[in-house]
Amino acid sequence: MAQTFPFPSRNPVRISFATGLIVLTVFGLVPAVAVFVVSFTDLRGLPYLPVNWVGFENYVSFFSPAKRADSMNALWNTVVFATVSTVAQILLALGVALLLNLRMRGRNFYRAVVFMPTVLGVTVTGLVWSLMFNVTGGPAATVLSWFGTSSAFFGDPQLALALVIIVQIWMVMGISVIIFLSGLQAIPAELYEVAAIDGASGWQRFRSVTVPLLAPSITANVLLGIVNALQSYQLTYVLTGPNNKSTQVLSLLIYVQGFGGKSGTTLSQSQGYAAAISIIQFLLVGVVTIIALWYLRRREAKL
Amino acid sequence: MATKKLRTTRTIGRTIAAAGLAATMISLAACSGQATPDAEDGDVAGELQILVSSAAASDAAFAAVNDAFMAKYPDVKVVLSSVSNDNYPATKSSRLTAGNVDIFVVKNFAEAPDYAADSVSDDVLLARSGGLLDLTGEAFLDNYTQSVLDSQAIDGKQFAIPTGLSYSTGVYYNKQLFADAGLEVPTTWAELENVMTTLQDEGVTPFGIGGKDGWPAGLVMLGVAGGELPTTADKQDLATALWGQSAALDTGVPLTILEKTQEVLDNAQTNFAGAGYDEIPAGFAAGQFAMTPDGTWNAPTIAAAVGDAFEIGYFPLPAGDDAVDNASLNGKIELQLGVAASTKNKAAALAWLDFFSDPATYTQFVADSGFSPAQQGIEGTEFLNSIAQYTETFQPAWEQVWIANNDAGQDAVYPFNYPALKPLGTSTPQQAADAAQAAWSAAF
Repeated sequence: MAQTFPFPSRNPVRISFATGLIVLTVFGLVPAVAVFVVSFTDLRGLPYLPVNWVGFENYVSFFSPAKRADSMNALWNTVVFATVSTVAQILLALGVALLLNLRMRGRNFYRAVVFMPTVLGVTVTGLVWSLMFNVTGGPAATVLSWFGTSSAFFGDPQLALALVIIVQIWMVMGISVIIFLSGLQAIPAELYEVAAIDGASGWQRFRSVTVPLLAPSITANVLLGIVNALQSYQLTYVLTGPNNKSTQVLSLLIYVQGFGGKSGTTLSQSQGYAAAISIIQFLLVGVVTIIALWYLRRREAKL
Repeated sequence: MATKKLRTTRTIGRTIAAAGLAATMISLAACSGQATPDAEDGDVAGELQILVSSAAASDAAFAAVNDAFMAKYPDVKVVLSSVSNDNYPATKSSRLTAGNVDIFVVKNFAEAPDYAADSVSDDVLLARSGGLLDLTGEAFLDNYTQSVLDSQAIDGKQFAIPTGLSYSTGVYYNKQLFADAGLEVPTTWAELENVMTTLQDEGVTPFGIGGKDGWPAGLVMLGVAGGELPTTADKQDLATALWGQSAALDTGVPLTILEKTQEVLDNAQTNFAGAGYDEIPAGFAAGQFAMTPDGTWNAPTIAAAVGDAFEIGYFPLPAGDDAVDNASLNGKIELQLGVAASTKNKAAALAWLDFFSDPATYTQFVADSGFSPAQQGIEGTEFLNSIAQYTETFQPAWEQVWIANNDAGQDAVYPFNYPALKPLGTSTPQQAADAAQAAWSAAF
């Protein structure tokens, strides 16, 4: 027993795990349970104000006829944002990872460039792309002007969500590329050699060797992408503001309700209502993630 | 050898565990926040935290007041935090909860009428719940105009000082471009339409609007509402009728307001929906458009951008068909400053309010901020004097009368649904009005 156990004593392990568990409980589990409880109250964002138990009123309000249009709009935007950004990000990241896995000069430099947007953070990314898509003299506006056209970019309700998705992909693709690269490097080169000797074409090698052995990486990337996209609101907030209906995703609605109020109006913050929306969002993320995990695991087993 | 290895491993394990524990303890300690140094009761000393919502001119004006205050009270360190309007509610909430703000801006600080009793603003509730210091009877309040104080009284008590008044329904115009086109200041809607057409014919873009931020386009809506509902009574009657369900948002005056707002938006610069509010003064100064709807609070910024390039004028957006209805600017009480009941430095907070309210300090503040004075006998700026004919009687803007319904949908917030109008949104005025009515009526 002592030979197989990596530590001579269990105490360091216990302390480490206990520390982790305490942190997780204090900063994860307790707030999560608190949010669930708060969703049944009319808690507002300010101290001193009385808090009343309102039962399911916040949930009923979310689906009420008056707010249904806003709720469904946010749900639809969330689904579009999560689906398109996840799929596009996976496909692009896989392509880039395959490219960066080739032997070429300056490969590490290119890898660093691809990963760089990930470390910039939301605010810097938002600032960079706001400047890129500035309507008066920004690079994108200049390019369009060469073709005699122009655009309001993030101010165009038909275009804003698509642009936010592009920026989201740009920002988070680096992580997916790294995961794919680690997966690609774990595939034994002999398998490609054997497949080549058997006369497999490049596409056949990709389809029959790379994809099956990359399945765990695909699963990890899809799940990370879905969860990240469903919870993301910061980028949308920075690029298009909190009250732009064309880009208002569910998590942004939570922020606006819980913390934002609405500038120039008497609308109150309502953290109880925001908590109810976040529970609905949690259920959405949970269901989608479980279904995706079930499907991808099954597919991994088949491959 | 093996024993040595085991001991080394054990030591490393313990070190990691201890470091993890220490990191956790430090993190937890950090979460408790940094305490503001307390001052002894009665001593004007220590740190004073002030939180305001941001505007370039008023930020500079507050900074000047703080410098003067610290020169008079060298034992006080004033820390001014200025955050954007969109981020202000969240910042205020967290700072109040953490107990590290002494003076802060209260918003929507007026009693709600009976029909909107469930939509009382957070800050009014905060005052009623004991979260704000009761300033009633403080000597510095005597400096302020009584009618302004009356309009912000909550249950007969005073919880804030009004830093000034500002007008939000006017239009800055380039006098040079107007002269070049042979145009006079419009006083009716028909005349404004003529101005827009003439400027377009001359190849000049009539309006510059920062539509990306949303609310600057809302100033057009407020201006149109000011012309369509010229008196306070007109506004209150419509608000009461809408809450009482005897008026609808998809017909009559509400629809007209959206139609006229749309007409102004149609005459704004290309792709204005993607332009930020901060970009507009530079564009106006460069002569890219002849007019820009904006509040008087931005006069110092616009004047600084324009410099000596041309003369600037300001007139009420003439949305009414009769010139008499367009004779007044509509406005609001500007940043109202209250004191948190949980302040750790009450003496310094009250001393700051007293210092701010002193006519000498206040005169400089209104000059720097561009606000109209909320005190009697204070000389306004040259710009404010130039628009005195429009401000002889104070008319509150529509947003000061209207109480939003928390139970209604977003399309009925203002409730004239200007964010849905093209190109900010995708709707025609009728479609936007229909959406507003649907979101409004379903709340009852």
